[in-house]
Amino acid sequence: MTKTLQHTVRFFTLIGLQVLFLNNVQISGYLNPYVYVLFIMLLPPKLSKAGVLVLAFIMGFTIDVFSDSYGIHTAASVLLAYVRPSILSLVSVKGGEDLDAISVKQLKLGRFFTYTGLLCFIHHFTLFFLEAFRLNEFTDTFFRAVVSTIASLLFILILESLRSNSKRR
Amino acid sequence: MRNLIAFFLRHHVLFLFILLETIALGMLLQSHYYQSSRFANSAINWSGQLLDGLNNSKEYFSLKEVNSFLAEENALLKSRELKRDKSEEIRYDNYQYIAAKVIKNSYNKRNNYLTLNKGTLHGIESGMGVCTKEGVVGIVRDVSKHYATVMSVLNKSTVISTRLNKSNHFGELHWDGKSKDYAQLKSIEKYVSISVGDSLVTNSYSSIFPEGISIGTINRFEREPAANFYSIEVDLSVDYTNVDFVYVIKDAQKLERKKLESQKGD
Repeated sequence: MTKTLQHTVRFFTLIGLQVLFLNNVQISGYLNPYVYVLFIMLLPPKLSKAGVLVLAFIMGFTIDVFSDSYGIHTAASVLLAYVRPSILSLVSVKGGEDLDAISVKQLKLGRFFTYTGLLCFIHHFTLFFLEAFRLNEFTDTFFRAVVSTIASLLFILILESLRSNSKRR
Repeated sequence: MRNLIAFFLRHHVLFLFILLETIALGMLLQSHYYQSSRFANSAINWSGQLLDGLNNSKEYFSLKEVNSFLAEENALLKSRELKRDKSEEIRYDNYQYIAAKVIKNSYNKRNNYLTLNKGTLHGIESGMGVCTKEGVVGIVRDVSKHYATVMSVLNKSTVISTRLNKSNHFGELHWDGKSKDYAQLKSIEKYVSISVGDSLVTNSYSSIFPEGISIGTINRFEREPAANFYSIEVDLSVDYTNVDFVYVIKDAQKLERKKLESQKGD
């Protein structure tokens, strides 16, 4: 039960962080970190795939409502949820079945980094591609996705280190 | 039949995925229509209220700036009025200006939007032009009772009809998504003589903006050998990092004009 509460709290915290803070930080035209995806990435590995899809849909839709983006966050989040099991089986032998939770401690830093990095890039690229919706801006979109993925990963690692620190205490 | 059900159950994740993606892409495609959906309207209402609250707390810190802005504007309007008195010229303006405050603004995405704190209650409708004292900001997209969203010039769907201030040649302004300071102007033919620093203003072809609102100046232009048109880079006159108060432009005779123009096909 406490696990459910933990995920619920994370859901609202990340939405708040994204909508109230990160959406208003405008550093450069190419840099748009999207940290809310961490919620979908950290959902328990034992949760059914359908459950992850539905939760990702709700998350994406909420972000869409607050960012005037008409469905692109929903589409990218649902895709992220769909490919999550495949990426998970890349970084763990049994496709995550042996893990209690997805965290730096359980996966070790290198594999956690690969997992979040790949998923982040897939999500961001889909997002920016749907936003531009033009093939002739492909290199631009690609560059945008790379730069923003790096920024998002930085935020994700900071959040993760905060989480593991607070647990140790 | 049993096999069919078994098939669906075995692949239920894939079907759910397809269903959810279809809904999401449906929302996206629907947003491309000009008069957009119910979803957009209710979404503005929720997020507008949240943003309003946030903005109230920020407002206090910029009082000084706002004050000087209003004073400047006042002076400008006064001087215009004086001029009009002197020339004794009677000009009928069909355009009505509704002042509004920007409660949300973005300029670093591929498609940028602003949210205003006024809506249908104040007479704002979808498709109206939005400008500041400096120049053109964008076009109203969705409206709810108290809020409106504006497609800024920094948006791939925004096209502004514009002309050269000195020669009346007209073209369409687009934005390529690269820099918030520059937009692109195509369809000015090569025989027209232009130079860096020439100013661009709106023309009245579209009835969204009145004639003569500033858009920007020519920053750079190229003659591409294969094309009939210049490719021109326009330095936008509005600083999108600092848009606070805007005017929404209402054309009182828009309907009459639209009606007349649509008749010519018969």
